[in-house]
Amino acid sequence: MVEEKPHQKYTEKEKKEIFNSEFMPHIRSMYNFGFRLTFDRDDAKDLVQDTYLKSYRFIESFQKGTNAKAWLFRILKNSFINDYRKKSKEPSKVDYQEVETYYNSDEVDRQITPDLRVESLKDMIGDEISNALNSLDVDFRTVIILSDLEEFKYEEMAKILDIPIGTVRSRLHRARNLLKEKLSEYAKSMGYNKSNV
Amino acid sequence: MSKPNNPFLKEDGTKCTCMDMLQQMLDSEVTNEQRDYFKQHLDNCMPCYKTYDLEMTIKELLKSKCCGGDVPPDLIIELQAQINQKIST
Repeated sequence: MVEEKPHQKYTEKEKKEIFNSEFMPHIRSMYNFGFRLTFDRDDAKDLVQDTYLKSYRFIESFQKGTNAKAWLFRILKNSFINDYRKKSKEPSKVDYQEVETYYNSDEVDRQITPDLRVESLKDMIGDEISNALNSLDVDFRTVIILSDLEEFKYEEMAKILDIPIGTVRSRLHRARNLLKEKLSEYAKSMGYNKSNV
Repeated sequence: MSKPNNPFLKEDGTKCTCMDMLQQMLDSEVTNEQRDYFKQHLDNCMPCYKTYDLEMTIKELLKSKCCGGDVPPDLIIELQAQINQKIST
């Protein structure tokens, strides 16, 4: 749902102008976000289509010239949670509460000391990076996408995700550690370890 | 030459740790002054240098390997058609 109450009044011509000049330029990022959430090109397409139709329906909640990208990402994220997550083909890999509790503990920084080197990362062909990102629980995956792929700031991410800035910061920190852990496993499987680097 | 003042401060006024500074740098949540200070700090702190180098490599790889996938052309066509239909009704 788009929660903001309408507070603008636009003519049909203005609506179309805003849609084409402020919303459509983000379609590539939106599609990538949809795909990284659903892992399915058809679902990503449907999700993006729904998001854009909602954005047009609620366009009077959007103030022309403000942060259209963050607004669209927020709608897509909410649509994913409300409409797609329930029927997602992705099996539930982890108990989120368990993960959150573990990664809130003091043990985490001591335990996660990935045996990972820049040299081993540079030998990864791309699938490993993508698979490592995809293997993260959706909440951790989302903050990495928003920060590292889309370059959103803490404040924008907090609005997109409806969580406090402090939670954005700590979740991002944990997500980076999880990603390194996963990449470290790939590096080990490729034969990299401390003794030969 | 005197050492520059650390511009990374916590809300309570105490200095940030190396981990705090690293995270702010990685998340691009720094001022120009903080960025300059951190770059100088890297010259004197090997653990920070190594961690920052590794983390930035991961960030660059993510950006280059996980942003692909062209938008299906029919998605744009269908969307434009649906919007035009809404306008005409």
